[in-house]
Amino acid sequence: MTHDHGQATGVSLLRMEGIVKDFSGVRALDRVDFDVRAGEVHALIGENGAGKSTLMNVLAGRFADYRGRIVFSGKEARPTNPREALALGIGVIFQDLSVLPNLTVAENLLLGHEPPGRLPGTLNRRDLMAQARRVLDDVGFDLPVGAPVGRLSHARQCLVEIAHAMRGNVRLLVFDEPTASLGSEDVERLFEVIRGLKARGIGIVYISHRLAELPLIADRVTVLRDGRVVGTRDVAGTKVSELSHLMLGRRLTEMFPEKRNTPGDPLLRVEGLTRPGTLEDVSFEVRSGEILGLAGLVGSGRTEIARAVFGADPAAGRVTLDGRPLGRRSPRAAMARGIGMIQENRKRDGTITGLSVAQNIGISVMDRLAGLAGFLTPGRVRRNAERMIRRMDVRPPDPARAIQTLSGGNQQKAILGRWLCRDPKVLILDEPTQGIDVGTKAQIYRLIMDLACEGRAILLISSELFELVNLADRLLVVRQGRIVREMTPGDRTDVDAVFAACMRKEPR
Amino acid sequence: MTAGGETVPAGARRRPSFQLIQAGTVLLLLVILCAVSAARTETFLTWRNLVINLLTNASYLGIIACGMTFVMVAGGFDLSVGSTTTVCSVMAVLVLQGLAGQPPWLAITGAVLATAAVGAALGAFNGVSVAYGGVNPFVTTLSTMLVFRGIALIMTHGGQTLSVPLALKDALSQVYWGKVALFGTETYQVTVPILVFVAVFAVSVFVLRFTRFGHYVYAVGGNENASWLAGINTSLVKASTYGLCGLTCAIAAVIYTGMSNTAQAASYQGLELVVIASVIVGGTPLGGGAGGLFYTLIGLLLLSVIENLLPQFGVEEEYRNIVRGLIILVVVAMDTLVRKRGRT
Repeated sequence: MTHDHGQATGVSLLRMEGIVKDFSGVRALDRVDFDVRAGEVHALIGENGAGKSTLMNVLAGRFADYRGRIVFSGKEARPTNPREALALGIGVIFQDLSVLPNLTVAENLLLGHEPPGRLPGTLNRRDLMAQARRVLDDVGFDLPVGAPVGRLSHARQCLVEIAHAMRGNVRLLVFDEPTASLGSEDVERLFEVIRGLKARGIGIVYISHRLAELPLIADRVTVLRDGRVVGTRDVAGTKVSELSHLMLGRRLTEMFPEKRNTPGDPLLRVEGLTRPGTLEDVSFEVRSGEILGLAGLVGSGRTEIARAVFGADPAAGRVTLDGRPLGRRSPRAAMARGIGMIQENRKRDGTITGLSVAQNIGISVMDRLAGLAGFLTPGRVRRNAERMIRRMDVRPPDPARAIQTLSGGNQQKAILGRWLCRDPKVLILDEPTQGIDVGTKAQIYRLIMDLACEGRAILLISSELFELVNLADRLLVVRQGRIVREMTPGDRTDVDAVFAACMRKEPR
Repeated sequence: MTAGGETVPAGARRRPSFQLIQAGTVLLLLVILCAVSAARTETFLTWRNLVINLLTNASYLGIIACGMTFVMVAGGFDLSVGSTTTVCSVMAVLVLQGLAGQPPWLAITGAVLATAAVGAALGAFNGVSVAYGGVNPFVTTLSTMLVFRGIALIMTHGGQTLSVPLALKDALSQVYWGKVALFGTETYQVTVPILVFVAVFAVSVFVLRFTRFGHYVYAVGGNENASWLAGINTSLVKASTYGLCGLTCAIAAVIYTGMSNTAQAASYQGLELVVIASVIVGGTPLGGGAGGLFYTLIGLLLLSVIENLLPQFGVEEEYRNIVRGLIILVVVAMDTLVRKRGRT
């Protein structure tokens, strides 16, 4: 099987042809063709489960049992373990950094290859520093070799990781969702580094689900859907809406529920929310039955606004609900007044590992479930959960199962159930569909619409502009901790307009 | 993320949880050990040895282990229980001395109440330092271990042995030596410490399993951050577990004072290690969020049976610590292996 992509420009660095990979009978990759040129950033996008990570794992030598051909710098290659891939010149930077924060930059860079000292078992610090400096010079990074990595900013920690990955003669670097946990400043710096690597002729694969980032960094983009390539485009001249259509296909129209909610009276009013360095004079109101969207790039302050309203972070300013101000600021106080919040980082701030699904759902209403003197039978907790499991369609519908054994989408549904138990008047949803498959996303969209129809006020934060445009009644665009614009999405093509509003640079 | 996205991961199929497997191994070990000793010695499998001797000895450790289980399920740690028990026993004897002229029931009730208050207060001090001061539990309780023992030293005027007044001795002795006959026979008797332990254990199970507070203890140990965001007063929950632990120290102190009729500033050293070992051997992980009282009970029984067997098998005193230490290490290592197997 040969495919000719007819590359006119750039030297082809990597060609993957007809890659097929099955997982116990399920086809994860179906005849995938993918190529990267030297000095190019090629973005790989797709929904969860589309096969992005699987494709890169094939390249990194994580699997031995795949079909297809890999040609790397003109030679046929078949890496079957990560070491072989590295020897070929393929490096991978994973989303979670693997640097050791208490060791110095030099120690991190040469971990496992420390130059030995005169006595057996000792190491030669001077050589260590010198070698580390050489490694950094090679990649052209300016980092303090003697500083503990934990003291560096997240972006500079990324540099250490990149330098570490490039110790060999790496010519292709894969970044797996590198910006997932970065603030906007750090994203900017990371992009600069990537541009630097590009200029040195290194090929870059950039995995992301944030379409908004692509014009800033990528040259070409390949979209995967259900293990197949549905298109490869030049980023310049391709609209965000087109990429969304490619990612979702027909599903795009089926995914979103009809808008049935009717906004009523103002319910939650936020006035002059300020937190030095992050938020500046943020004011808005949400009506009952209204879905208000917060749009903005990562690090723009969207999450910070939500957390401040919920009382999870301190901030100056007034928050009033039903005309009465929220006094003391804490999640508990906010909950007592009928505000609930789904956190962005589900693993860190949402699921309580070790506890059952039933306990995870019931944890926010234990006070209501409990009888005299806090007495609480497991049966009550279970019955309360069973109700929510049915309503949210959590699968498998087993309240006794440990929450961490559920898929991401079902964990999210359970946590949504946790908040619905409290029957909140205001529900804040921070990236409610992050890391969730398409089918569950559609379920969550329907649920959000149902909740709005019941007269609840919904504050929706999302990186996926399509979600915002299709669900929200109004959109607030957040940039640098301020609300810069209010938009009313009319139809589904507004994505490009919202995108432009989020991207516009502040005049400095 | 793998392909197939939301298909349920293979490891998630219904199978006994790792917790159960782990408790199972320790339980199995306990049964095997009992069977071997019953076969090899005639004295092991007698009511007198098992109940009057072994269980009574285990009781006062078990009472503290109940409190320790709360602390450790919530993700904490308490090294100061030995010192707390010492202060409590000194307090008990001092109150008894002060109330020497009163009728025994009044004096003992007074001593129990005062001791309980002191125990809970010392525990609460740990709790406030950990939960509100943000000091690491290990550091906090290592410090208070020294501080509390220092307090006991001052209360005993530099380490004198305090004795229970003669008039109250007989009454107080009943707290340890008192026996209740079961089935109306002389053979099947249980001691008061066992009854107290059973009561403390039952109340603890109730609180940990059947109350809101108990659920919060597991939640805080499982994910403190998420618990706080779910509206739980996590600091109060954490601090309370230490308070409860201090309270159990007080109960144990009263019982033990009934046996010795004295209080010394140097008593109960190393107690914390045996108690923590019981909880860990039982299967409550150091990070918290899992485990529970029945696990602790199994761990406690295993250690107690071993303790009981050492002399019966003729292990000389100077070798016993080595055997104890190695057994804890081996059991926990075995559990870790089972845990790894359970994951894949």
